[in-house]
Amino acid sequence: MSGCDHAIEYVYQYLDEEASFFTRSRISVHLRRCPPCMDAFEFESRLKDVIRERGKSDPPPELFDTLRALIQEERESTESGI
Amino acid sequence: MADQADFERDAMQYAPQLYSAALRMTRNPADAEDVVQETFLKAYRAYDSYTAGTNLKAWLYRILTNTYINKYRKQQRRPSEVELGELQDLYLYKRLGEASGATQSAEADMLDTFVDTDIIEALEDLPETFRLPVLLADVDGFSYKEIAEMLDIPIGTVMSRLHRGRKALQKRLWDVAQEHGITGDGP
Repeated sequence: MSGCDHAIEYVYQYLDEEASFFTRSRISVHLRRCPPCMDAFEFESRLKDVIRERGKSDPPPELFDTLRALIQEERESTESGI
Repeated sequence: MADQADFERDAMQYAPQLYSAALRMTRNPADAEDVVQETFLKAYRAYDSYTAGTNLKAWLYRILTNTYINKYRKQQRRPSEVELGELQDLYLYKRLGEASGATQSAEADMLDTFVDTDIIEALEDLPETFRLPVLLADVDGFSYKEIAEMLDIPIGTVMSRLHRGRKALQKRLWDVAQEHGITGDGP
């Protein structure tokens, strides 16, 4: 397998920090020598950041109060049940 | 062993993340709130069984994921392997590269054109089998091993679903990019 094919095959495991030490080292060496693969890896890495940053939603502001009340109620009902 | 009296202090910080994950799973604010409430109640009741010092976020997500699956996925116990066809590796990168011509690194700059709703809709459009692994890995940053434990599937299955799910997500984002008018001619 060529260095490029190997790098692309393991791109997610590399970026997810799940690749073995050997695979990681081989890819790191390859990326330093191969600007096209480096460009592709940088793209995938930025895409991951974009998904993490923009894939979230804020909770409704009353969520904390609702959860606290729920736990409070549960605590009281178990205490009174003793 | 964790003390139930500490539950609120320890767990409340994760409520926003749990809600966001529940909303991506259920795709509906009312259902998301139900799932989070049930998760907190179960977690509070079981807090004695949580080992203090281990990963509380992962423990809570495991309860969240199970709550969601039990509540909303009863009718399809066996996940359907949706046919995605054979998508090329680096699908989005290559499509954007073709559209932008030879300009160096233009692909990465195009990612800035995706707004929150583009990403959220693309995630929510994923078939469920792929949506959960992608959410847990890409939005919440869990390891393959943690995801395998949460979904009760082997690590190899996590990896293949993640791989296919990300390709499907990239295909959806390419559709969005085209809707935004990225054709290579520029604005």
